[in-house]
Amino acid sequence: MKPDRDSMLERIRKSLQSAYLPAAREAIPPRPWPTLQPALGLGALADSFTREAAALGVTVHRPESEAQATEAVLAVLRESGGNEILAWADSDLAVRGLGEAIRAAGFTRLDPTVPRDPAPHREKLAELGRAVVGVTGALGGLADTGTLALLTGPTRSRMASVLPPIHIALLPLSRIYSTMAAFFTLQSHLVGSGSNLVFITGPSRTADIELTLTIGVHGPKAIHIVLIP
Amino acid sequence: MSDTAFNKRVELALSDSSLHIALERVTSRFTTLRHNGFASLPHADEVRDRARLIRAHTLSRLDSYLAQFANSVEAAGGRVHWAADTAAANGVVVELAKERGAKTVVKGKSMVSEETHLNRALEAAGITVVESDLGEYIIQLAGETPSHIIAPAIHKTKEQVGQLLHEKLGIPLTDDPAQMTAAARAKLREVFLTADMGVSGVNFGVAQTGTICLVENEGNGRLTTSAPRIHVALMGIERLVPTLDDLSIMLQVLARSATGQKLSVYTNLITGPRRREEPDGPGDLHIVLVDNGRSRILGTRLAEILYCVRCGACLNACPVYQQIGGHAYGSVYPGPVGAVLTPALEGIDPWSELPQASSLCGACREVCPVRIDIPRMLLELRDESHRAGLTPLWLKVGLPIYRFVATRPALFKLASTLARWVTRPLASQGWLTRLPPPLSGWTDHRDFPALAARPFSDQLRDKHRKGAKTQSYTKTSS
Repeated sequence: MKPDRDSMLERIRKSLQSAYLPAAREAIPPRPWPTLQPALGLGALADSFTREAAALGVTVHRPESEAQATEAVLAVLRESGGNEILAWADSDLAVRGLGEAIRAAGFTRLDPTVPRDPAPHREKLAELGRAVVGVTGALGGLADTGTLALLTGPTRSRMASVLPPIHIALLPLSRIYSTMAAFFTLQSHLVGSGSNLVFITGPSRTADIELTLTIGVHGPKAIHIVLIP
Repeated sequence: MSDTAFNKRVELALSDSSLHIALERVTSRFTTLRHNGFASLPHADEVRDRARLIRAHTLSRLDSYLAQFANSVEAAGGRVHWAADTAAANGVVVELAKERGAKTVVKGKSMVSEETHLNRALEAAGITVVESDLGEYIIQLAGETPSHIIAPAIHKTKEQVGQLLHEKLGIPLTDDPAQMTAAARAKLREVFLTADMGVSGVNFGVAQTGTICLVENEGNGRLTTSAPRIHVALMGIERLVPTLDDLSIMLQVLARSATGQKLSVYTNLITGPRRREEPDGPGDLHIVLVDNGRSRILGTRLAEILYCVRCGACLNACPVYQQIGGHAYGSVYPGPVGAVLTPALEGIDPWSELPQASSLCGACREVCPVRIDIPRMLLELRDESHRAGLTPLWLKVGLPIYRFVATRPALFKLASTLARWVTRPLASQGWLTRLPPPLSGWTDHRDFPALAARPFSDQLRDKHRKGAKTQSYTKTSS
């Protein structure tokens, strides 16, 4: 491996001596406009987030209490018509007692752990593919685009937000950031603490056939975001 | 005009009426979407300037950022492979597949894999490859190549796609994109859940963290990089940014330029393989750094083309692409960016016509999110092509003749009188719609304005006699 690395880097170094590029070797200066906008209050951020997400076809729920939040989640679960769901651990869901309420309502949470060996790996994925709803928390939200940020971890699977046709995400209001840049400024140390950080901006979609917008290709076609006060 | 393969492809494209309908719909729609996308961006011009600066800075220190990136990937548990050319890149993927007993590979969209013809290499090794981006899936079923960087199947009408899916998947004939999409989803879901290996491209690699960023709308990229046991990502060595903050700038312009979205639906940031305690995700992450001519380009006057973020905006804006579509270029990368990148990567000799397929109008430079000066490089390539003796005969002979005539006023006047006299019977309503060969090369697909009844020089002389003001010349010259 090493010789390939060295020879490729060496070729680049040699080319850089004659490169026809503007002088840009100096460090990039800080951006001239503010990254963080402390002037925006939580309410304004939540409103912007709600507006942007709704424009993309996301259903945003704004319950006033934890009981209402639980009820909103259960309503979506009941409406799905199915029984098996993929969910993150109770401690990731930002609403006390939600996990218990889901169990009490009779929904089965599939064990999300996918074995690493080929045959059981395939079997497990087939099982997870049956889930009708995925329930997750969120590391953050981006107000300017209506985006959810989800980070994987020991109790936070990737599949819960991509495999089922419906995705419910619980997002505490306090985790809404004005922009992705603001999010990175405050949370960049978390990138890499899990193998996967995904920004989700609206339901899965395509326009590959004559640019006709079609919702729900490989990912969820319905997203419910429950903003927790 | 010469009868080259390129001209034949152009000929074919220009006479394909359903291609015309598709191109017209798509390029005009993309143009509107892009416009609206940037309207929603505060400081849009400053953001684009900064995006350009980030690309320029990164490339000017590419060796150190690439080394930093590779170290960060390895620190996060990923494996880095260095591939000098397409054979090396394909070799890495095929070897990995064999070594790990992978029989089925599911692919997310990757232009680099088109460049290396990875599918062919995998299939030759007896491995099944399935494209998972809907557009890529459609053209894979049709046995074609992408005609647009971000919408690979836009050359097809929905009726054509419906017919194709009917034949290949056995679904009822339909012209409803929603039904076709649902059929493809069902088919591909099976593939995602059973594939042994996922192969994806990379939009940006972050040197600071060893993160690879992949943007997409369908969720196929997310599944390709999450469901199979092994994830292999192919990445051009130039696709780096120094930090996450720089990444956020690039993402602000990428989706807006491509589809007008503020952000693509899925912006996947992958840092290393599945952690020991995580419930899912590939246990193996391999990143193949592909050079394939890029380090050479870096040392030339075409280095700026390496800024490109593959948004496809220059395709939609280009009056030539709008007429001929992507396939006529004959190269993996079509449109203005392809007309520079292809000869830059593969040499001018087989591709000397691509830099000519442009009116140098500058629309590409105008829409480019990182303001790449494509027209300048097209001229560089025309120059290179001329030096290499690749100028077509008619131009080689024609230009000196034209120069000889045009620099001798009396001769020029005689020639234009002659031309007016010869073409007058061919003109109708002020336009020449048919000329004899070799001039038919122009009029087969375009009209040429008929020569004015009185030459400009005559009109000018009359004005002078009447003592008219200079400002009015242009208004009366037609």
